[in-house]
This record gives sequence, C-alpha cells and structure tokens, in this order.
Amino acid sequence: MSYRIDRRQFAKLAAAVAAGAVLSNTAGAAEAFRLGALNSITGAGGAYGPGMLEAIQIAVAEVNAAGGAAGRQFELFAEDDQTKPDAAVLAVKKLVEINRVEAVVGIWPSSVQLATLPITNAANVPSFNVCGAPELETLDDKDLVFQFYASNKVIGAVFAEVAKKRGFKNPAVLAYNNATMVAQAENFRSTWEAGGGEVADFIVYEPNQTSYRTELDRALSKNPDILVLSSYTPDVTIILKEWYQSGYDCKLISPGWSITQAVADALGPEVSAQATTISNVPASSTEAYKAFHEAFVARTGRQPEMFATAAYDMVIVLALAIELAGASAKGTEISAKIRNVTNAPGNKVSTFAEGLAALKRGEEIDYEGASSPLEFGEAGQTTPAFGIFGFEDNKLALQEVMTLKS
Amino acid sequence: MEFYLIAISISVLIYMLMASGLSLQYGFTGLVNFGYVGFFAIGAYTSGLLSLQGVPLPVSFLAAMLLAGALAYPLGIITLRLGGDYLAIITLGFSETVRILLMKEDWLTRGVHGVPGLPRVFDDWAGVSSGDLTLLLLLLVVNIAVFALIAYLVRSPFGRIIASIRDNEVAVRALGKNPAAFKTRSLMLGSALAGLAGAFQAHYVTFIAPEQFVPLITFYVWIAIIVGGPNRILGIVVGTIILLTFLEGSRFMRDFVGGVSEVQLASVRFFIIGMALICTILYRPNGLFPDKFSKGK
Repeated sequence: MSYRIDRRQFAKLAAAVAAGAVLSNTAGAAEAFRLGALNSITGAGGAYGPGMLEAIQIAVAEVNAAGGAAGRQFELFAEDDQTKPDAAVLAVKKLVEINRVEAVVGIWPSSVQLATLPITNAANVPSFNVCGAPELETLDDKDLVFQFYASNKVIGAVFAEVAKKRGFKNPAVLAYNNATMVAQAENFRSTWEAGGGEVADFIVYEPNQTSYRTELDRALSKNPDILVLSSYTPDVTIILKEWYQSGYDCKLISPGWSITQAVADALGPEVSAQATTISNVPASSTEAYKAFHEAFVARTGRQPEMFATAAYDMVIVLALAIELAGASAKGTEISAKIRNVTNAPGNKVSTFAEGLAALKRGEEIDYEGASSPLEFGEAGQTTPAFGIFGFEDNKLALQEVMTLKS
Repeated sequence: MEFYLIAISISVLIYMLMASGLSLQYGFTGLVNFGYVGFFAIGAYTSGLLSLQGVPLPVSFLAAMLLAGALAYPLGIITLRLGGDYLAIITLGFSETVRILLMKEDWLTRGVHGVPGLPRVFDDWAGVSSGDLTLLLLLLVVNIAVFALIAYLVRSPFGRIIASIRDNEVAVRALGKNPAAFKTRSLMLGSALAGLAGAFQAHYVTFIAPEQFVPLITFYVWIAIIVGGPNRILGIVVGTIILLTFLEGSRFMRDFVGGVSEVQLASVRFFIIGMALICTILYRPNGLFPDKFSKGK
C-alpha cells in the first residue's frame, strides 16, 4: 500500500520540523554579545584609530573561533568618534541605543572618554580606553572604565628615569599641545626636577604646522644634550627632519607611538640612531604579542603600534571576564570580574583559547596581555612595565625593560 | 532607538540655533563671519565655568548670551568699516585667537585638559533619560522663539535697513543711515545666539575643550545655511537637517550598503558633504529655498 501525506498531515509535520529547528537553535547558541568599537578613524587620532579597529576585529575573530565567551559569539559594531567629544556623544548613543552594545572598546582620546562616560555608565556599559586623563579615575563611580595604557604621569616619569640613568644633564622639552602630551611633559619635568636636575627649556607647540623651526631653534639655542619629544608621528616627522637639517648633535627621546619604525624608514639611520623610545610593550617577547603581531601583519601588511596592541587586549580581557561572569552577566557584573582574569595570582595565560580552557577547568587565571601584563589598580588603571627601545641599523630593537610603581 | 533620535534632534536644534544667528548676519545683513565658532566657544565656556562655580543654569545661559553678544561689539567697531572680505579674515582670526586663549589661559579654562563634569540641564529633577527629552522640548521652544524674532525683525524697519545694507550699502548711506551701527547690532545679535547654542552644547556634552571649537564648526554652519538658503527660515531648518543627515546618516549607510569599512565610510562622509555643497552651488546658487524677493521682482 502506498503512504500518502495529505494536507493536514503535511501541516503538522511542517510545524513539528519548524518547532524542532527553533528549539535546537536556541539550545545550540546563546545570543550574540554585541560589542561596540568606538575608534578615532578621522581627526587627530586618525593615525592610530584604523589600526585599533583592525586589532579589535582580529581579537573578535579569535574569540569567535574559540567558540565565543561563555558560549556567546561576539558581534562587532564600529563607529568613528572623529576624535571629537561632541561627535562621540552621538556615536556612542547610536551604539548603546540602536545597536544595543553591551561594552564599548577602543577609545583613544581622553576627551571622548570624558564625554561618553556619563552615557555608558548610565547604561551600565563597560568602556575600555587608552587614555591617560587622571579625571577618569574619579569620575567613574561604577568601576566600569578601564585604562589599558599607562597614565601619562607614569610615562613622563619613565622619560626622566631613563634620561637620568643614561647620564644626560640638560634636557629640552618639546610637547604637542593637547591634554595627554602636555601632562606627559609636565610629569617629565616634575620627576626630573625632583631628582635635582634642571630643564633647559620647556616648549609647548601648536599642532598642524608645516614647520616647527621656530620652536626647535628656541630649544636648540639652550644647548640641550637630549630633546624630550612628547609628540605624535605626523609632527615628530617634521621636527626630526628640521633637527637633522640644523646639524645639531644631540640625543632624542620620545614615546613609542611617536618615533615609530615608519618614521625611521622615512628619515633614515642617521636620525633614528639618535632616538630612544619608551612604550609599555615590554611584551614583545610574550606569547600574546607574538600571536597578535603575526595576525596583524598577515591581515594588514603593517607593523602594529602600541595602541592597536592595547585595543586587541581589550577584547580578549572582556571575553575572559564574560566567560567567568557567565552568559547572562551584564555591565558591572562583567567589569567586576576583569581584575580576576588579569591580575595575579593565577595561572598565566596568553591567549583567549588558553584562558577559556583554564577557566573551564575552574582555575584562576592571570592574562598576560600583548600590550602589558595588565594588572589593574583600584581605579581601573594599569601599572605597566616599560620597554626602552632604540634603533639598530634603522630597525627598532628592545634595549631594556624597566618597571615603575604607578 | 527613541533616545538616539532625541540625541540627534538635540544636535540638530543646537546647530539650528547657530544657523539662525549666522543667517541673521550673512543672509539678512550680508556680513561674512568666518569666526562664528569663536562666539560658540565663548558661550560654552562662560556657561560651563559659571555653572561649576554654583551659578544656576538660567543665569549662566543668560551670561553666555550676553558675553558672546558683547564681545561682538568691539569686533564690529573695528571691522565694520571694512568690506566683506576683510571682515571674513578678521573674524577667522578672532575665532582662532579665542581658541588659543582657551588653550593658554589654563588658570581659568584648564587649557588643553578641558573642563569635564559640567551639570546637565534638567537632570536634577527629570533624571537622565527624561532629562534629554525635556532639553529637546526646551530647545524646540527656543528655536521657535528665535524664528519668531527673526521673522519679526525682518519685517520691521530694522530688517528693511539691514536688507538694504546687504543689497546696496552705498544707497543706504546716501539715504542718511549709518550702516555700521546696524551691522554692529546684527553682528551682536547673531553672536549672542551662537553663545546660547554654545551653552546648550556645553551642558549637553558635559565636557568642553578648546579642540571642540575649531573653524570646521563654523564651516559646518555655513554649509547648512548655504545649502538651505541663507535668508529664509525654511532654508535654515532644511539646511541644518540636511547637514546633520549627511554627518550622522552616513553612520547608517553601512547597515544598508555592504562591504564598506568604517575607515572608508569616514572618507565617504566628507565626500558626500563636499559633493552636496558643490551641487548646491551649481544648480541652486541661492540655496534650496531662495529668498522669494531676491530675483526677478
């Protein structure tokens, strides 16, 4: 006998199949974790924002490939804050209200974090940045804000320590006029003077000039033996060109994001041999950095700079904290776990997959990031170790690592 | 969703307030002010700093308007005897001077560090979420009041004189009127509106720093009034909405058009704004809503 399905039976069958599909679907995958990336793609931060976004995408892919955090895949929503606080307010409102993101990562300028903090904190959304403004430590009343880069207090102090250790006597300071760089230069000065030294000249320059000859000549007229350049890549390139043309012989020190390998390539070994750069990537020897570096070069064909490395760590740390807090955790419940997964004690892990496995075994972990060991203090600030770099044959090379108490 | 729409609308209305002031100066009086953002900055800092000293917000808003308007007076005295191009250059210099003063006088303005933690307008009694809605309603009322004022002014004897200054200054002088006095008044009034907009912006964003007050803002407002039509209230409204649609709407383009990265989108945004401006100049040189009486009458 032949078995034929009539219309009613077909409808029942279809309903059963559909119900089964729905059930298996909800059992199989938890709801995606909506992650916001707020980067400075255009404006003053445009030199760093695109790299940070790419680093975030690499980290998101890594988390998803390992099966997600607490079973939740990451879904990324990216916005450009234009390095402007007013544009950032609208961008973050869009991320929080429309995309319904549960965390915001990748914030570069302090001005953007200061303007968006009231919004993200009110919505119980953690935000991770690379800013160095001291106000962040007091304005964040919910412990939702974490700084993945050294405060400028610390970087300025490291400049002074390094200059002193290397026997310099007469430093002149050139600082880019914004909150971050001026704070860094002022902290260099206060540490240097506290150590009994004197600063030959302290010059704050306006950005976006085609020549910095006037400022440079003023600094060089005081016969410094070292120039402290609290600067960014676009302006330091011009300053170094003019410094080389002047024929004046002295050493240079700058933050790692300023005199980069790209600057050395552009200006040649005569300039780069005089430069020392400081950044909180002592980590170039760690597993996390090696893995990230490889992925970044493969994806972009460029070398990652420090902010991109920190942005990568933001996503990994967030994912580990979600894994520990559980799939249904929100805002403060997640941020409360961040110190658990990054700070000692615990088994040191350097990738998301490694951390995930250890957490599943019920172990305590201590994520050693690609950007720094990531030990967060009371106010969500990092207490990093610093790498002191020089250029050998025009190639950036780590010379020593120093640690400071923050 | 609705909170984002409220946020966008607040931005539109703050820009609209600025556009009203600038079109009073340019569209109705013919003054080319390239330093408009300077008055916006003065308003923002005046109200922001006063409010941190415990001055109630209505008073600090009023102070922002008055100071921005008052500072336009000396500028007017110096420059209004000059022709249009000179005024443009000097006002541009003025706004840059204001910005550098805000950077350098850090005993007052905290310099490049900016001033964080400004009080929001209605949070004390409306809470954060409904505070925004209340602010939106207030801005709506203020904008309507400003439009009513402009409509009244334009029909008044004052309005007829500034319009004739715009169209033929020599003729006005020949009729025995002193153009400089009227131009100064128009400049002060427009600048006071910029100051008011600045106060709203400061207490909405809650953080002000000199880098927010770059000449780009001036030219955004210019784009709005040129696209919309500088001497029609409808032009101001539509121009501002178009500008913000381009600035903010490009955020949503990626949701509809695949394969565009955030980095490319940022460039596309500037491209679209530039093209819109060029097309307006080519096809609608007097804006989308030109003055009804300007040509052929």
